[in-house]
Amino acid sequence: MSGILLDVQGLEVAYGDVQVVWSADLVVRHGTTTALIGSNGAGKSTLLRALSGLLRPLRGSIVIGGRDLAGASPRDFVDNGIAHVPEGRRLFTGLSVHDNLLLGAYRRQDGKAAIRADLERMYDLFPRLAERRRQDATTMSGGEQQMCAIARGLMAAPRLLLIDELSLGLAPAVVDQLVETLHRVRADGASLLVVEQDVGIALELADHVYIMDQGRTVRNGPSDVIAADSSILAAYMGT
Amino acid sequence: MLWLQVFVNGLAVGGLYACIAVGFSLVWGVLSVINILHGSLIVLGGYLAFFAHQQWGINPLLFAPVAGAVLFVLGAGVQGLVINHVMARPFLITLLLTFGLNLFLDNSMLALFSADYRKVLLDPPLGVFDLGAIVVPADRIYATVIGLILIGLLALLLRTTQLGRAIIAVRMDRDAAALLGIDVRRTYAIAFGLGAFMAGCAGALLSVIFPISPVASAGYLGKAFVICVLGGLGSIPGAVLGGFALGIIESFGALFLGPEHAMTLAFLLLILLLAVRPSGLLGKRGFA
Repeated sequence: MSGILLDVQGLEVAYGDVQVVWSADLVVRHGTTTALIGSNGAGKSTLLRALSGLLRPLRGSIVIGGRDLAGASPRDFVDNGIAHVPEGRRLFTGLSVHDNLLLGAYRRQDGKAAIRADLERMYDLFPRLAERRRQDATTMSGGEQQMCAIARGLMAAPRLLLIDELSLGLAPAVVDQLVETLHRVRADGASLLVVEQDVGIALELADHVYIMDQGRTVRNGPSDVIAADSSILAAYMGT
Repeated sequence: MLWLQVFVNGLAVGGLYACIAVGFSLVWGVLSVINILHGSLIVLGGYLAFFAHQQWGINPLLFAPVAGAVLFVLGAGVQGLVINHVMARPFLITLLLTFGLNLFLDNSMLALFSADYRKVLLDPPLGVFDLGAIVVPADRIYATVIGLILIGLLALLLRTTQLGRAIIAVRMDRDAAALLGIDVRRTYAIAFGLGAFMAGCAGALLSVIFPISPVASAGYLGKAFVICVLGGLGSIPGAVLGGFALGIIESFGALFLGPEHAMTLAFLLLILLLAVRPSGLLGKRGFA
């Protein structure tokens, strides 16, 4: 088993007065893909927002690379190697694909040559983006926008990439393509934590799966174990 | 020939008007703050240029970027230390705050410099370009050209630098920008500073043409507002187009209605445009 990259213990998160996450414990290991599944309103996206500093947790720890970042700013999370691809892509209108990708590297200090090399790597991973690099990013199709959002996240050269709602609103063929690309990204050494509504996609994508229910991480295990136990999915996912 | 002369008179101040408006447009577009302080910042830029000319004999046209730099520091400081505290509050709160800051700066200038009109008198004067049929004052042409160059540099900054991209990103989606590690408050301060930079430059350029007084600030603010709505908010080409449009409209307004009604025609057209095409002539969603 490879070492632990991200270790979340006893996390509680609220939106204002409304507590959404009551108890989240979660581990992501180096070079693996972890999926977080659960029904609507289980608190998956809220947990993810705390893992990138957009929400300040009430209690608990978020340790990455030996540092507890609970309560730190989004910029601290980026500087410690966490990039977050938000739900709904959230690309910047009025900026080209190329400019959106460059903004992904906003906090990088390792020089223009390294950033340019990563840009080329992104255009290699996502050839569609290379074709559309001068186009306003928000005028592309949903699938292309998701590619651009993932590439923008990867431009931060993160140790851990968080993706919220990978497949939401996308055609199955596009999702297959994305899953394949994300396998390549993991093979290149990055780790991934993906929130996914579609259990089939999550099991295909991930090495390890966590199930969230009513604000708690209730079960977890290797994808094949979870897939084999139909009672787990029936209990929490209603499938 | 009279009409051609009137038209060229309008063109000659167009770039200068664009310069007045572009900073106001940037702050409105990026921060969603209607900066009532903008007119006073222009007047302050004019005073800086006036005193630099009086003390050291520096030509205000060349002093414009220096006046702009001083105003950048002031503007970034005001945003960073004061306005940033109310950015999350409703729109009217920031409007009220800049209104108060405007009163403060106007009255400070009244106390320091008095309400007397001051005029930069260049020696020797810049004279006129005599094109035979028409005559164009050289100071306006120089001021307009320098104004357009400064606007071009601002556009270049926004389009080609990481800072410019970050400003646009913050404008379009604050949370998504923060997720990339962009410091939103710092970006607000820089954007406001850039708006103040353009105001300072505009003030210095205006000082060779128009008299300087704290009471002029409301007039400049009104012009900035009209130009932004004419050209379309949140677009540099829009501010340039709006600047030239206002210059020409004022020029013909002065001819037909008398100089005292130059702005009347502009505001009439503004109301008409707001009714017919509220996004302005070149209004668009990105800031470029």
